[in-house]
Amino acid sequence: METKNRVVKIIITVVMIVIGILCIYPFIFMISSSFKVSGDVLMKPFEIIPENPTVKNFIGLFTDNEYYDFTRWYANTIVMTAVALAIKLFLITYTAYGFSKINFKGRDKIFLVLLAALMIPSDIMILPRYIIFKNLKMLNTMWAIVIPSCVDVYFVFLLRQAFISIPESISEAAKIDGCNHFVIYARIITPLAKPSIATMMLFSFVWIWNDYMSPYLYISDMSKQMLSVGIKLVASGQVQDYGAQMAAATLVLFPIIIMFLFSQKYFVEGSTSSGVKG
Amino acid sequence: MAKTRNIMQRKENIFGAVFIAPYVLAFIIFTGIPFICSMLFSFLNITYITRLDNLKFIGFDNFIKMFKSAEVMAALGRTCIYSLVYVPVIMVLGFMLAVLLNKGVYFKNTIRGMVFLPYVSNMVAVAVVFKLLLGQNGPLYTICTMLGVANPPLLLLDTTWALPTVSLIAVWKGIGLNMITYLGALQNVPAELEEAAQIDGANKWQRIRNVVIPMVSPTTFFLIISSIITSLQNFTVIQSLTEGGPGQSTTVMAISIVRTAFAKNQTGYASAQAMVMFVIVMIITIIQWRGQKKWVNY
Repeated sequence: METKNRVVKIIITVVMIVIGILCIYPFIFMISSSFKVSGDVLMKPFEIIPENPTVKNFIGLFTDNEYYDFTRWYANTIVMTAVALAIKLFLITYTAYGFSKINFKGRDKIFLVLLAALMIPSDIMILPRYIIFKNLKMLNTMWAIVIPSCVDVYFVFLLRQAFISIPESISEAAKIDGCNHFVIYARIITPLAKPSIATMMLFSFVWIWNDYMSPYLYISDMSKQMLSVGIKLVASGQVQDYGAQMAAATLVLFPIIIMFLFSQKYFVEGSTSSGVKG
Repeated sequence: MAKTRNIMQRKENIFGAVFIAPYVLAFIIFTGIPFICSMLFSFLNITYITRLDNLKFIGFDNFIKMFKSAEVMAALGRTCIYSLVYVPVIMVLGFMLAVLLNKGVYFKNTIRGMVFLPYVSNMVAVAVVFKLLLGQNGPLYTICTMLGVANPPLLLLDTTWALPTVSLIAVWKGIGLNMITYLGALQNVPAELEEAAQIDGANKWQRIRNVVIPMVSPTTFFLIISSIITSLQNFTVIQSLTEGGPGQSTTVMAISIVRTAFAKNQTGYASAQAMVMFVIVMIITIIQWRGQKKWVNY
């Protein structure tokens, strides 16, 4: 019985590893091709470790060329993501504290209205948002991407849950010691909810970094553009330079893959406790 | 005593307002007003999005025009096909992966990570890779020719295959999240229940059917709704892979809405299309909500 179980386990493992490798095959192909000369990408598609590896594709992207400014897009995306995450970290925890630890009149009713908004697909708001951005002079700036991504009901809900699960007695004790809500928020409650906040920051990083629709619709100036739109431009060039395309794709995914390798457990833990939207 | 409580309550009210004001203000400007506007727009004759003068209320004209338009109806049909491929496949495969990777397998965290990786990746970057993988002389093409298939279809450039292909690529990208959500639910299935079934002589399949599936039904309910909504918001997937082509073969509603608004400059008409999508989501959600009492177990 023991050995039979072990054999079954080994068979399942082998099958699952094959499935896993199939899942990441596009990434393997991409990274391997990014180190090949363009001609070899389709000539030797199954050569995983390139025979004559080259970093020319990467250098080519970052050096000046007349068609596009990859360095600029990369810098824009890093700045935009950093700003968005900083604002979101503050705004969402601050709001979630208000909805969980302060007993003001009408709290639950207002929260219910926010929750109802979860059902609205964001796609239907693109047109009115365009007009609002235009009037607020936010069109063609990173704020058109940053602000809507920070008004994220989903994580207010999630952090509110996390804050509620912190025993009331802790904030009561702090109140008796003379702390007001600002101190309790910044010094006591927020540090206690670190795992949930980490999950929020990681998912938000992924969503903002990868956002395509907002920059596509709200940014028209190519020098202010983000990577998601930029890479499509690299790939639709007149000359199909496959090596450069794969290098660009690799660079877009690089920060995310690195982050994922180091924080896998937060993704897994965060979503198992509550389920995350798609 | 009552007075101090009153003062306390007033203080709480002020603090409450201070804490939620920034968010609620941003919410009203960037979600509340846009939502109400998008409803209003669908009844107006807005053309250029930036010119809001000379507006006229035109009743249901936009909607009538939409339901009479063969083009829009075809797009709606393609959205349905896309969802009909996406939702069942991602639900079934996501559940199977979760069951297999829950226990009884070595390296389970590594394999879970491999399945989850596409979820965090950038769709547009991935699309560039898929276009090569599935394109002329790409690896898939090469394998097919080696296996003796003459003229294998170029999946993303073929009017028949493009739509199911983009849908399946979306499944590949999203399945990690469904799997992880199911894994969370599986870990909450009490071990005693499965053991009891095992002692009663139930085999693995019977245990899954009669114990596990009913126990995770609330998660199934949640995932079906969220998968349907995800499948309707497919602009990025399609725009990055095929831009609605070849021909019109992957022009779904999301693509049609953006095109109508930003390329054809018919904002009111586009809003009406968006509104119809919203109503469809609402109806599906309500039906599910009603129906869940029958099949969701607790």
